[in-house]
Amino acid sequence: MSVLLATIEQSGSTGEQIVFWVCAAIAVVGAVGMLISRRAVHSALFIAATMIALAVLYVSQGAPFLGMAQIVVYTGAVMMLFLFVLMLVGVDSTESLVETLKGQRIAGLALALGFAVLLFAAIGNVSYNFAVGIDGANAADGGNVQGIAHLIFDRYLLAFEVTSALLITAALGAMVLAHRERHTPRKSQREQSEDRVRSGEPQNLPGPGVYALHNAVGTPGLLPDGQPTDRSVPEPLRGVSAAVGVDHEDTRRVNALAAGGAIIPGKAEDES
Amino acid sequence: MNPANYLYLSAILFSLGAVGVLVRRNAIVMFMCVELMLNACNLAFVSFARINGNLDGQVIAFFVMVVAAAEVVVGLAIIMTIFRTRRSASVDEANLLKY
Amino acid sequence: MSSLLAAASFDVPTIEYGQLSPMLIIFGVAVLSLLVEAFAPRGSRRPIQLVLVFAGLAAAFAAVVMIRGTQHIAAMGSVAVDGPALFMQGAILVLAFIAALVMAERQVDPLGDAFAPRASALPGSTDEIAFTRLGWLQTEVWPLFLFSVGGMLLFPASADLLTMFVALEVVSLPLYIMAGLARRRRLLSQEAALKYFVLGAFSSAFFLYGTALFYGYAGSVDLSAISDALTANAGSMWLVITATGLVSVGLLFKIGAVPFHQWTPDVYQGSPTPVTGFMAACTKIAAFGALLRIMYVALGGIRWDWRPMMYVIAALTMIVGTLFALTQTDMKRMLAYSSIAQAGFMLVGVIATNQAGLSGTMVYLVAYGIATIGAFAIVTLVRDSTGEASHLSQWAGLGRKAPIVASAFALFLLAFAGIPLTSGFTGKFAVFTAGIAGGATPVVIIGLVASAVAAFFYVRVIVLMFFNEPTSDDGVSVVVPSGFTTLAITISVALTLVIGLVPQLILDLANQAGLFIR
Repeated sequence: MSVLLATIEQSGSTGEQIVFWVCAAIAVVGAVGMLISRRAVHSALFIAATMIALAVLYVSQGAPFLGMAQIVVYTGAVMMLFLFVLMLVGVDSTESLVETLKGQRIAGLALALGFAVLLFAAIGNVSYNFAVGIDGANAADGGNVQGIAHLIFDRYLLAFEVTSALLITAALGAMVLAHRERHTPRKSQREQSEDRVRSGEPQNLPGPGVYALHNAVGTPGLLPDGQPTDRSVPEPLRGVSAAVGVDHEDTRRVNALAAGGAIIPGKAEDES
Repeated sequence: MNPANYLYLSAILFSLGAVGVLVRRNAIVMFMCVELMLNACNLAFVSFARINGNLDGQVIAFFVMVVAAAEVVVGLAIIMTIFRTRRSASVDEANLLKY
Repeated sequence: MSSLLAAASFDVPTIEYGQLSPMLIIFGVAVLSLLVEAFAPRGSRRPIQLVLVFAGLAAAFAAVVMIRGTQHIAAMGSVAVDGPALFMQGAILVLAFIAALVMAERQVDPLGDAFAPRASALPGSTDEIAFTRLGWLQTEVWPLFLFSVGGMLLFPASADLLTMFVALEVVSLPLYIMAGLARRRRLLSQEAALKYFVLGAFSSAFFLYGTALFYGYAGSVDLSAISDALTANAGSMWLVITATGLVSVGLLFKIGAVPFHQWTPDVYQGSPTPVTGFMAACTKIAAFGALLRIMYVALGGIRWDWRPMMYVIAALTMIVGTLFALTQTDMKRMLAYSSIAQAGFMLVGVIATNQAGLSGTMVYLVAYGIATIGAFAIVTLVRDSTGEASHLSQWAGLGRKAPIVASAFALFLLAFAGIPLTSGFTGKFAVFTAGIAGGATPVVIIGLVASAVAAFFYVRVIVLMFFNEPTSDDGVSVVVPSGFTTLAITISVALTLVIGLVPQLILDLANQAGLFIR
């Protein structure tokens, strides 16, 4: 702490100091907030705050291009992607904070604390100065963006070209893992209606099972005679009951209840 | 303004990210923590660029952003695949591989 | 106005296309094979992909042979084209060729190849069953495979840490995806992909922070500039030591050295077996190449500072790998722990920090890689009705059921154990003599003890296969593969024997490769 206080006194530009301390506080609070929130969505919002604070720090350190790229790429694209996935996964999902591996949290904290001390020692052992500064480098090519462009298309050209392999891989990987293909040609509305009439059963399929225990599409509906029917379950979900939460035990119980004439489960069944 | 302050901040953020990967159990949050670590690296690169007085650090930070974007796509695709099969993003439930 | 002047002063960078041709060919073919996926009709994709992959690997290998003897830092200082880099590129291409043969196999599994018909279909769903019945194949694995190989060619040749970081990601991203594509036991496979991904991203963040500290120290990420800064003895040693540690964590993770090895058994077990063979062999060569280059080129001047750390890691890796391999009951996990132990033996060559250490490690990498791909290829052949029969007890009496396959497997195990007249002995001998010459005698002694213990569990498997009665009617059989796997195993057996019987061939080649250029 005394190191930090000493640095405040010896520092030059007050404007940069204020920006640094404000943004550093936001960044650390965001990082800690991400770490301790139970909901993944809250974590995502906290880390977005950290990223914006870092963008400000980039700009104040003579890297306006990176500051903008940080906002566009990280908060604009990366975090939005995270939020999309979180919405798909279920925004309400909270994480149990119960430790599954005993002592893991303490061990993790201790490890990281030791690591932070190591990094501090490594960084603190050096005396840095901003005497050189970034302004000269920024001015050399006529501006920050020009300077970066010069390096990317000259010294780091190969790395730049190779990143295209990364982007192709990413797009291809996402397609492989997430793009669902049809294995049969899509039927036109006309064919569908013809098929429906030919099947001898032109009415709607039974609705999903909405009864006292469940209301998921994976739950089979009950026919008028009380028998559950698989036909109310969308085809891709049939047979993967374990994966989508169809509880055949429940179905059996509801079936038994229906057979016995009691539609509303009694107290004994409620306890499960 | 002591340049080391920026580096201390980056070290703090990097360590916080590392703690997160070690203690959080939700794969998506773990992955956010990795992103925080990469951001901390970028802050270090930008600060060192200023200390060294050349733009290489900024260029590297730019490359890290590209790499991180590609990594996010692949990572989230894998997480989505797992989630679709088992309806959970907790790494505790991904426990078929035990030794 | 000033920007116009700057634009006018921009010189077109020189790119030595000839010297970069191996990786340019592979990346070019990868893009072509991606276009095949986009435009070719489904039925013709597989044959076109196979032609592209094998022709591309062969052409790239020919390019490596053509530019042998080059000593040049190419592409504006990004790529070091030198003897060791070319040796490792050649080795990676040969091993990738064998691995691709195993991946192309379609006959051992009655349902198709080793990959899920569509990775996006839920495991066990009617969709998946329909795709399987239609016989669709996920041919996208081929462009992924090629991108990964391209990254592997660049990784050991990178002359600066940024190129190395980008190459590391190009190697890894396709592997993360491929690890999750197994046709059988898909939940296990997806879990392996998740574990590999999270831990891989975690470790590359460490690599990156180390790079940042090196940049802060030297003002550049060029390996030669870091070496120069160390010679000038500028700045703080603390910074350099920390940076060395962080960068090593990233690379040791890829290598699978203790204590960064936890992902290895899970990922090796869960991934489709042909992919396991590919990543066990080729990733290890690429990562060792990068580690050797950093340690020899950039940090050779401070080897007295990092050698103690490597001593400990090498010793731990040998001991832990060997002890855990003893307790495994699953063949793929046993091979995974054995590969951890092998990484420990190879680290002895890194510690040696002399020319013999470099060439010894390279020879060991080739010997290990060939035997590994061969062993995993045989694992794909031993099956029961649910897929691969990887439990050790299911291998009992295999020597009676299929003497030729069992003998080939026994040969690979003997090579792992380092028995004379096999490739493993050549590699171990080269590494250990280099280690003694380099003053790492204590680690070599630990290595000798560990190899003796390791020989025990390799021999145990051989005894199990040849001298135990097969458990009756467990449904395990050795299926007859098509020409692809047969060729892969034949090449592996032949190379293992050649390197074992005429070690001078490869030792000369590795010695001629010389040292890294700066």
